[in-house]
Amino acid sequence: MRKRLICSLAVFAALSFCLFLVIGEVQAGTLKFYANGEELIAEGFLAPKLTKDGWTLTFTHAFVALSDITAYQTDPPYDAQSEKPISAKKKVALDGVHVVDLAMGAEDDPPVFVGEVANAPAGHYNAISWKMARSKTGPLAGYSMFLVGTAEKDGKTVSFQIRTAEESTYRCGEFVGDERKGFLTRGGEADLEMTLHFDHVFGRADKAPDDPLNLEAVGFAPFADSGKIHEIKLRGMHIGHAGEGHCAVEWH
Amino acid sequence: MAPVILQSPRAVHAHGVVAGYAKRTGIEITAGYDTGRPMSGGRVSVFAPDNPATPWLTATLDENGRFRFVPDPAVQGTWTVQVRQEGHGAMIHIPTGDFAIEEQQTGPASFGLLQRIVAAACVVWGSIGTALYFSRRKKAG
Repeated sequence: MRKRLICSLAVFAALSFCLFLVIGEVQAGTLKFYANGEELIAEGFLAPKLTKDGWTLTFTHAFVALSDITAYQTDPPYDAQSEKPISAKKKVALDGVHVVDLAMGAEDDPPVFVGEVANAPAGHYNAISWKMARSKTGPLAGYSMFLVGTAEKDGKTVSFQIRTAEESTYRCGEFVGDERKGFLTRGGEADLEMTLHFDHVFGRADKAPDDPLNLEAVGFAPFADSGKIHEIKLRGMHIGHAGEGHCAVEWH
Repeated sequence: MAPVILQSPRAVHAHGVVAGYAKRTGIEITAGYDTGRPMSGGRVSVFAPDNPATPWLTATLDENGRFRFVPDPAVQGTWTVQVRQEGHGAMIHIPTGDFAIEEQQTGPASFGLLQRIVAAACVVWGSIGTALYFSRRKKAG
């Protein structure tokens, strides 16, 4: 009888300790992911921030399909300039392909909710990667981005539809902005942002013509024919950011 | 090698004002664009390792895109400096080792996964050994 009691206590103690170790590893919170086209999508390209060729743009829709969304705890912090794969102590993935309409972001709060992961390990998520991928269903079926809106210049108004089927993966370090993001405490919440800078596509009239941003941007003139859906090549235009921080891009 | 910042070469006395100097090891940040243009007037935020979500110091880059600061040597860990201007920005991470600070870290120990596995194995082995010991003693008795 005593032997059984001792054996049971020993096994119980061992299992309890193992459970304690496992729980100690988990220390979970909720990590939320947002996509942000910023004011240039939520409000539009309005004076003085017109396109580099002087068009005013407003967006009815700005669909993007995002997949392979992954947040990382990196040490040392990931340097996007290295363009290497992200090496992480811990990482959390948001499964699935997520189609979001960046134009649905409020003017005073442009980020659009993409999804969340519960039970994410606590810590500082200081890197993020995602893929702009072709959607298989919905309004973006077969494409990774679709912009719909209205453009105006010199009294001329045109409707535009611009889309791409290109796929690319962005690897970014820590969010750079008004606040630092990604600090997840046990039982708490934290958010991360996938930021898309559309001035890298259309340019900015309030910047010098030889500004690197304007040199890489195509402007709006190639899409001013409102009679058709335009295909755009994004390769060479770095629209993916983490806030104001640049990301490494891999084209597929 | 971190630059040495000399705040003043000697003590000065004038109309009751007392000024002195302190020799400290500091950090100089240089920020610019990949075109070579310095980030003149860019915003700088410095975050201390013990409170990484709130700026420890905010400042502005000079005309050459430079900024100097002296971290608190009592705060160990990685200091982070954020520079931003016109929608572009970057983060710089500076371990305390780069300040040539030699104090030992005194924070609580943090156990890695391998250490946890070894600890768990020891406890399991010890528990089983204890059970077998008592079991054997009873048989012998």
